[in-house]
Amino acid sequence: MAKIIGLPKLSPTMEEGTLVEWAKKEGDAIEVDDLLAEVETDKATMEFRSFDKGVLLKILAPAGETLAADTPVAIIGEAGEDISALLEQAKGGAKAPAAEPAKEAAPAKAEPAAAPAAASAAPSAAPAAAASESPAPDGRKMASPLVRRLAREEGVDLAEVGGSGPHGRIVKRDLEAFVAGGGSKQSPAAPVSGLSSGPGYERLPARVEKASQMRKTIARRLVESKQTVPHFYLTIDLDASPMIAAREQMNALLKDEKVSFNDLVIKATAVALRRLPEVNASWMDGEIHFHQVVDVSVAVAVADGLVTPVVRDADRKGVLAISREVKELAEKARTKKLKPEEMMNGTFSVSNLGMYGIEEFGAVINPPEGAILAVGALRDDVGVVNGQVAAVKRMKVTMSCDHRVVDGALGARWLAEFKKLLENPMGMLL
Amino acid sequence: MASGIDELRQQYRKMLEIRRFEEEAARAYAMGKIGGFLHLYIGQEAIAVGVASALVKGDYVFQTYRDHGIAIALGMTANAGMAELFGKDTGCSRGLGGSMHFFDPDNGFYGGWGIVGGHVALAAGAAFKSKYANDGQVTVCFFGEGATNIGGFHEGLSLAGLWKLPIVFICENNQYAMGTPMSRTTPLEDLTLKAQGYGMHGDRFEGHDVTVVKDRVKTAVDRARRGEGPTFIEIQTYRFRGHSMSDPAKYRSRQELEERKKKDPCAVARQRLADAGVKEAELLGIEGEIDDLIAACVKHADEAPPATEEAMWDSVYVPTSAVPADRLPRGVVRVEDGDA
Amino acid sequence: MRELRYREAIREAMIEEMERDANVFLMGEEVGHYQGAYKVSEGLLTRFGEQRVIDTPIAEAGFAGVGIGAAMTGLRPIVEFMTWNFSFVAFDQIISSAAKVAQMSGGRVPCPIVFRGPNGAAKQVASQHSHSVDPFYTNIPGLWIAMPATPRDAKGLLKAAIRENNPVLFLEGETLYNVKGEVLDEDADEVIPFGKARIAREGDGCTIVAWGRPYYTAMEAAEILAKEHGLQCEIVDPRTLRPLDVDAMVDSVKKTNRCVVVHEHWPYGGPGAEIVDQIQRHAFDWLDAPIERVAALDVPMPYASNLETLVLPTVERVVEAVKKVAYL
Repeated sequence: MAKIIGLPKLSPTMEEGTLVEWAKKEGDAIEVDDLLAEVETDKATMEFRSFDKGVLLKILAPAGETLAADTPVAIIGEAGEDISALLEQAKGGAKAPAAEPAKEAAPAKAEPAAAPAAASAAPSAAPAAAASESPAPDGRKMASPLVRRLAREEGVDLAEVGGSGPHGRIVKRDLEAFVAGGGSKQSPAAPVSGLSSGPGYERLPARVEKASQMRKTIARRLVESKQTVPHFYLTIDLDASPMIAAREQMNALLKDEKVSFNDLVIKATAVALRRLPEVNASWMDGEIHFHQVVDVSVAVAVADGLVTPVVRDADRKGVLAISREVKELAEKARTKKLKPEEMMNGTFSVSNLGMYGIEEFGAVINPPEGAILAVGALRDDVGVVNGQVAAVKRMKVTMSCDHRVVDGALGARWLAEFKKLLENPMGMLL
Repeated sequence: MASGIDELRQQYRKMLEIRRFEEEAARAYAMGKIGGFLHLYIGQEAIAVGVASALVKGDYVFQTYRDHGIAIALGMTANAGMAELFGKDTGCSRGLGGSMHFFDPDNGFYGGWGIVGGHVALAAGAAFKSKYANDGQVTVCFFGEGATNIGGFHEGLSLAGLWKLPIVFICENNQYAMGTPMSRTTPLEDLTLKAQGYGMHGDRFEGHDVTVVKDRVKTAVDRARRGEGPTFIEIQTYRFRGHSMSDPAKYRSRQELEERKKKDPCAVARQRLADAGVKEAELLGIEGEIDDLIAACVKHADEAPPATEEAMWDSVYVPTSAVPADRLPRGVVRVEDGDA
Repeated sequence: MRELRYREAIREAMIEEMERDANVFLMGEEVGHYQGAYKVSEGLLTRFGEQRVIDTPIAEAGFAGVGIGAAMTGLRPIVEFMTWNFSFVAFDQIISSAAKVAQMSGGRVPCPIVFRGPNGAAKQVASQHSHSVDPFYTNIPGLWIAMPATPRDAKGLLKAAIRENNPVLFLEGETLYNVKGEVLDEDADEVIPFGKARIAREGDGCTIVAWGRPYYTAMEAAEILAKEHGLQCEIVDPRTLRPLDVDAMVDSVKKTNRCVVVHEHWPYGGPGAEIVDQIQRHAFDWLDAPIERVAALDVPMPYASNLETLVLPTVERVVEAVKKVAYL
């Protein structure tokens, strides 16, 4: 059976060789270990000896040619064999079957290029994971040496800057974002994602705008929440008429100011949290932290996103006090004057889209809080009042719970308590 | 060149200078003025002086760490030697080498080397240069009998023999490799047999008579100078002191030492001069001059400025042409291009 | 500009310097009649004769010592080690003799010698023949260490080495000998100074310090990082490891704020660690991330091809290291 003979690799580093001279001519009988040709390699002129026995049927490469290792140079077989198929194969540049399977590449291109393909295939998960690593156990704020120097030079207090590096390390881009944001942004820059717009959207190219730092923070924090916090949702429908009546009574007692439905919702939330403190909790790194204070975060929409200022000790404040505080915080939010500490460390959130006519919705938990309450619109309904069919106002609220902290039954008990408070506002005074 | 009794008179003076130099070095060592290792040559002086007498200006000599004798025999001043032992800036190696690393290239002395056998190939290299440049110079390489067991010795001899280099290898066989007698380190009594395998000439004799040393070595040096290849010479000798100052030499008997001291090369030369008619007064005069010379060198060494940090940094590299001015490491000086 | 292979560039440097100075000669195993184990000295015997192209027996300690002795007394030897792995039996000569003679003689006896030969892994030559010796020798004051990556650097640095009055260890690479690159014309007589790094690629995203064969690994990684992540790496090839161009590296890191050092030697110590140390001290306040190193894995070189590839620095490992320090 005839076979193609490839140029052998005659030194460990040989990539190509020059056929100096053929020692046999076509038609010669070949014994194993017969000298076929002399080949000049990168190291020396070497003897190319046959591994096969037979007749040299065809010389495919004349003397003088420089060829890559494994290139077909001859066909050896039995006298008179038909080698036309092999000739075709050799012409096609096929590797000699007898040749070594793995050709070693030149040093400059020795490394396989698998990594880039993998890197571009998916947004890299590693940075996000790195950014969410816990801060140093001793609570020390870590910053790169470069950031420490720049902060010194620019008079920035690093305590106000969030870090996106490993273990919360503040790195150059965090400081740049902080300074660019007028020095008021507490949240770290989001790590740059590996995502890029795919092909095929050139017909009507999108207007590409750089995301603001707030946008990036929202993106990062909410992605983190939805990816890491096991959400479940409980909705309850309650009779809003008592709340409306209570608000009217309160506002009648006030001169120039008014409390809102939302203020009452916050108050009821706070009282319910005090009564069922298991809900006022956070999952933190394998531990459950039961908060001793009731600090209610209130979602406030602003021009380019939303912020969640915190009403501290809402359970111990009256509705008016809560109302005043929320107004002040909302104003600060609109004018970008919120301080980082005014947005940090809430224990439970309230988000209200009722004013937009949204009947009900599920909100995304604001980690590390254990739950968020989404408040829908007041709506007209028909109910039975004092044995009579009458027009009533009703409202739906949906609680999103972190299942690691709040189980279904606990969430349900809390919502029942909340409903009871709003349907009997006098109960909040108890 | 001095001949006969005149030459012997000069040789005696030199041997005595070496002897007195080392006696005072031992005293200074005991006083804490010299540190580290101090290997004394006392008892072997006829070899250093005899070999030096067989060489001419321009020849190269490489020695082990027992190097004071040959350095002085070749012309190094007692001042430069003693100051080196005292770790002073005026020492032959600016206080950087100490006892083991005397250097005096102006007098053909290419060192005091501390690794047994390590300098044998270096000496062959100097001889290689003489052959390459055809400059007629000869190299002498000293080592002890202990070195004939190490690889460096064999590779050096192998190449010297192969290339017929103009070199004379002198094995100063003082019977002990540190504390181990030769009978326990090598199966041969005649060490020239080791060199036979490298195709070189051999010679073997006792080394307490400076005249004999000079004559026998000169035969080999002349042969090398004629381009007839290297010679290996085993010279039997005996050191009167321990291997180094910290060696009590308990491995040999008092009686053996006393027997050997009867062949003290200095005493032998002195007796020869007296026999030849040199007056006792003249001999005493020579000895007095040497005493003064050595006293002066100790005083010089005492008073000389200490070794400097500058010398320490300056000597790591000789002036460089490869490194540009703005990248020079500390102490390195720049020269423009090559051979400067 | 012409294109030459690395081995041709080295050969040319030797030819030019041997023609320039009759005191220069080449000595080593198989350098003459065999034409060089790696054909670096091909044709030199015919050109310069047996007096100046000297075949030696297999006796590294011997001929290294002969070279040093000849250098001390006025010649300018080029001593070739068939590979640097064999320099270990001449270690004492390099360390105790060549590197010390200037100091021991109070600065009076120079030792203008070049030791040269291929360093590092070749292809599947296993543990005893794959050493990267740079960490062993860079520790020694009294020696200069050059480790060029490109043909042009190889030629220019070798010419400087041969003209230099101090001992130079010139570390080539078996896998580099076939690499082609631009080299100035012969009449340019380019002599490249020691201690001057070459900025092989400019960028502001991350500094990569790499020399010898890993230089090519780093260059390839830089292209990938530019393409996939838009990060422009600056590649600094120190070219000589002693003296080391700390200034160039520090300047680059001050621009990029981050650094990856890529080398073929083992991770424990060596020039890789030295470079990291210098940068952390001189550019501390400019660092935005810890410096990463990509080194050979901490094992004797295995024979099997797949394992050898695993041990040596790869493009992927460099890319990953850069992404780490750039927080990508």
